[in-house]
Amino acid sequence: MRSLLTMVGIGIGITTVIALGAITSGLKASSQELAHIGGADFMVAQKGAADMTFSTLEEDDVAIVRGVEGIGHAWGGLLLVSRVGSNPFFFTWGMEPDALAGMGLRLTAGRLPKDGSEILLGDAAARSLGAAPGETVEIEGRRFVVVGIHDATARLEASGAYAPLPAVQEAARKPGVLTAIHVVVAEAATVETVKRSVEEASTRFAAISTADDFAQIDQGLELLDAANLAISLLAIVIGAIGVMNTMIMSVFERTREIGILRAVGWRGSRVVRLVMGESLALCLLGAVGGILLGVGATRLVTLVPAIGSVLAPAYPTDLFVRGVVIALGVALVGALYPAVRAVRLSPMEALRHE
Amino acid sequence: MSEMHVIEAVELTKTYEEGRIAALSGMSLAVRPGEFVGIVGPSGCGKSTLLHLVAALDRPDAGVLRVAGHDLAHEPDLSHYRAQHIGIVFQLHNLLPSLTASENVQVPMFELGWRRGDRVARARDLLGLVGLRGRETHRPTQLSGGERQRVAIARALANDPRILLADEPTGSLDSQAGDQVLDLLERVRSESGTTLVLVTHDAGVASRADRLVHMLDGREVEDGSIPRSAALAIAGRRRERVSP
Repeated sequence: MRSLLTMVGIGIGITTVIALGAITSGLKASSQELAHIGGADFMVAQKGAADMTFSTLEEDDVAIVRGVEGIGHAWGGLLLVSRVGSNPFFFTWGMEPDALAGMGLRLTAGRLPKDGSEILLGDAAARSLGAAPGETVEIEGRRFVVVGIHDATARLEASGAYAPLPAVQEAARKPGVLTAIHVVVAEAATVETVKRSVEEASTRFAAISTADDFAQIDQGLELLDAANLAISLLAIVIGAIGVMNTMIMSVFERTREIGILRAVGWRGSRVVRLVMGESLALCLLGAVGGILLGVGATRLVTLVPAIGSVLAPAYPTDLFVRGVVIALGVALVGALYPAVRAVRLSPMEALRHE
Repeated sequence: MSEMHVIEAVELTKTYEEGRIAALSGMSLAVRPGEFVGIVGPSGCGKSTLLHLVAALDRPDAGVLRVAGHDLAHEPDLSHYRAQHIGIVFQLHNLLPSLTASENVQVPMFELGWRRGDRVARARDLLGLVGLRGRETHRPTQLSGGERQRVAIARALANDPRILLADEPTGSLDSQAGDQVLDLLERVRSESGTTLVLVTHDAGVASRADRLVHMLDGREVEDGSIPRSAALAIAGRRRERVSP
């Protein structure tokens, strides 16, 4: 029972690590998708913004970006996050209509928006809103007519919508403001070179193409990473204390058995391997349970529409490796003292133990 | 060490509790290969301590102890020595309760690197030797006291030791089971030529030995063969004392 409870404790720790890691990885993947929306190679946002939705650029900044060498195509966009239907995180992108035409969107119904009252829904958004071309959708008190539906691969695109920039600026009450400038580099240029050039063009610019770049405009992901690390460390410390307690009790209760093993010729190193092996088995079983539970829990959470619309948990291999490594660390740290204690017992002392 | 002796102890001393308790005080003993030596004496005379030193479960404070060519006071790897040369049977069977009879017998074989198949086969043969064929998968709780002690004997023989040490092996058994265990030890010893050193305070048990070493206050007081009839007479008197 004690071993089972220890295993459950380790499993819960690993579950937390996996769940938080999967959510963080999912958010990073979503963030990366944002940077490449509309087929862009990267996007330019306000450096130092606490959150991407707080990024504030001016329409004139588009001209500055377009003036940078190596830029093939650049267009401005405003992101409005608001409640639409049952989705509290509905992403509406205001894009210049000409830019929408060049984004290569795959339409499954209708056409692209042309004027201020029209909107193009992502396929998931159309399903959740039950909206078809010709129907209307209300965003921040403004009514938009659905003129088309597109098949999106990015989750935030699929569960959001595109509308003409002026209409979204009006709905967001941010006239002349952009959230980001989306950039496609010229054929002869490299993305990294152009990113550097853009950042040199203005100290307000942050060029984003990877999840790591997002740290420049969104501290949330860094906080999540830090929380993940802290929880991992806590899992190790708490798990190790639990394992140590279990293994010390196990060694204490089996002192006589250890004496018997030593009496029939077992070396101290073999006894250490026995104690370590039990600890490893305990922790690895806990890890397997924790990983399964972590994956299950994050999948379950994304069944909630409000969460599922913005978050697709990601399970990179290194996440599972981290879970197993934590379990191994807990096993080794937790069993070290009990193993040393076991091997220090003289066979006679151990055999006399009642 | 004399080539004639498999165990040679010279002036052994062993104390406990920082010298306050003297378990052995100048004990000397020499045992030839294949001998069956009974160590007898009252409780606390140092019999078990001597056995434990020979088994390398502890080291002497002073004196010389050479067993199977090893100087135990200076032997660096006592575990390997125990696994290779010593089989030990305790008063209590000391089997591991979570293991089957076969697994218990296999325990000493790990240290000498037996392969799994060989271990299982050897354990089956040894359990057959001690009359427990077919009981391989039984756990200690499913066996009688005598059967457990026979499993313990099979375990002691696992690595084909040169020396078999038995510390009051019948002490926790009824007379019938005790006789069976003694018969078995004698048979094993005569068939394999193993040296058998048996500690007991029971004269009846002691009477089976080729040679008796009497101990008192941590050292031998008499060492030599005793007439079997005399030993049986001692055993008879003891039985009378314990009978109602």
